Amino acid sequence: MPLPDTTTDKTSDAAMSRRSFLRGTAAFGGLTALAASLSPLFELKDFTSAEQFMQKYYKEMTPADMAKVIKRIEGDVERQYGLRPHVRDYKPMDGVEFVYCLNLTRCIGCRKCVHACVNENNQSRNPEIQYIRVLKLPHGSLDVEKADQNYAPESVPEPGFFYMPVQCQQCRNPPCVKVCPVHATWQETDGITVIDYDWCIGCRYCEAACPYFARRFNFAKPEIPKERLNPNMSYLGNRPRKQGVMEKCHFCIQRTRAGRYPACLEVCPVGARKFGNILDPESEVSYILREKRVFIQLKEEMGTSPRFYYYFDK
Amino acid sequence: MQSRPPPSSRRSGARTNAWLGGLTVVFLALGAFFLANGGGRITPRPNIPLVDAKFLETTPWRRTYADMVKDKEDLSDYDCYACHEKNKPPPIRYDADQKIIIPKEHKDIVMGHGSHDRNNLCYNCHNEQNLATLQVRDGREVKFDNIPALCGSCHGPNLRDWEAGAHGRTSGYWNRSLGAMDRLSCANCHNPHSPRIPTREPAPAPHPLRAVAAAEPETLH
Repeated sequence: MPLPDTTTDKTSDAAMSRRSFLRGTAAFGGLTALAASLSPLFELKDFTSAEQFMQKYYKEMTPADMAKVIKRIEGDVERQYGLRPHVRDYKPMDGVEFVYCLNLTRCIGCRKCVHACVNENNQSRNPEIQYIRVLKLPHGSLDVEKADQNYAPESVPEPGFFYMPVQCQQCRNPPCVKVCPVHATWQETDGITVIDYDWCIGCRYCEAACPYFARRFNFAKPEIPKERLNPNMSYLGNRPRKQGVMEKCHFCIQRTRAGRYPACLEVCPVGARKFGNILDPESEVSYILREKRVFIQLKEEMGTSPRFYYYFDK
Repeated sequence: MQSRPPPSSRRSGARTNAWLGGLTVVFLALGAFFLANGGGRITPRPNIPLVDAKFLETTPWRRTYADMVKDKEDLSDYDCYACHEKNKPPPIRYDADQKIIIPKEHKDIVMGHGSHDRNNLCYNCHNEQNLATLQVRDGREVKFDNIPALCGSCHGPNLRDWEAGAHGRTSGYWNRSLGAMDRLSCANCHNPHSPRIPTREPAPAPHPLRAVAAAEPETLH
């Protein structure tokens, strides 16, 4: 059946035929629609800079590389928070292995450690990320299934309960390190398991592997008020994280590797937290492990062998 | 017009056009959906108030006499002989239940040292011969700024632990070659007259994001 001749209108001097006009319109419309459908991409901010994208693995960086990276981080933080931080890459000391001891007889469950930690380590305030969970347990039991972390009475301690703060246990045999597919988390020689936030891909395998629920994921862009930003930062420690990476307690690397006590210990009103070098026989932790009724490594049966010990006074 | 494409290729051309048209419609629909904010932006998170700065305080909740001496504070409260007479130990009065009667000049003292109110003799610790000092029960005099020696005379194991750094807070530097440590004294935490640490307000619990969303459903939309 012959079609009506619409394509070649020889009488018109229009350079464009009706068919090619329709095609062009359709193509233009299609492209517009495609662009419009991609509009949510405009909301993507904070693209990874090329410099960060090309960054080397932490253990392969030379001091010069690290100096460049630290400069970039300082610039990023200053742009974001309007505050020039002091970032350093603290290295483990020789002959030092950190151990934490926590006195369950003394802990009153006031949660000051939780917030001192948030303040020291630049954790997100909204959504909240907290490294320490304080569990409230009834006397006579150590069944963490019976624990309550949302207690909010007028005053603590409540009669009939004891309190057990749980944070990263800095295992000697850390399951989180084993499952990391990109080696973004590893154990350092002083016993601290660290995370390279620039190397983490956010797969959250480590979160699933940790028997202590010690690892936290940045589901949203962290929010830190400028006036609460701690400018003393370390690369593997408390520098601000970005959305989509894991973080956890690192024994306040920026303090402890400079010889100081961690922030959670400094704020404890009852002296329940003890920290030090287990290789030094004169240290507090050595004394406690020698003399005190040190009764658990939490979930000892998991074979993780934590460097975090709970003990009783009497 | 005579050179029209053969029917098969015409059919495939029609199919291509149908695909392209369909895709255009899909893209247009998606575009309209996004532009009309159909997917909804991320729900604004509930506002979480910043934790009160009092929970971040690292200063101990009590100040000792030694602290006051160090900070050159007003020590007139410790001038016992502004009121008391020298060489005349003030008498201690008890009620019918052998409970100590605190004179009104010392009303701020709540006596609760030891269970069952048994440790209620002031001169177990205060020196009745010289009220400006303290005394161990064997008669040794102890200055107000050296109380661990006094407390430790009864609480031996606690003194031992304190000296080893296992009782009470030690702050500052764990590495003593890099900086000084600061060990709190007994009275920084314990009120000598009622040493049990009082209960206190806990810092806020983790914010229950979901519970709040359920309580205020209008914030969801």
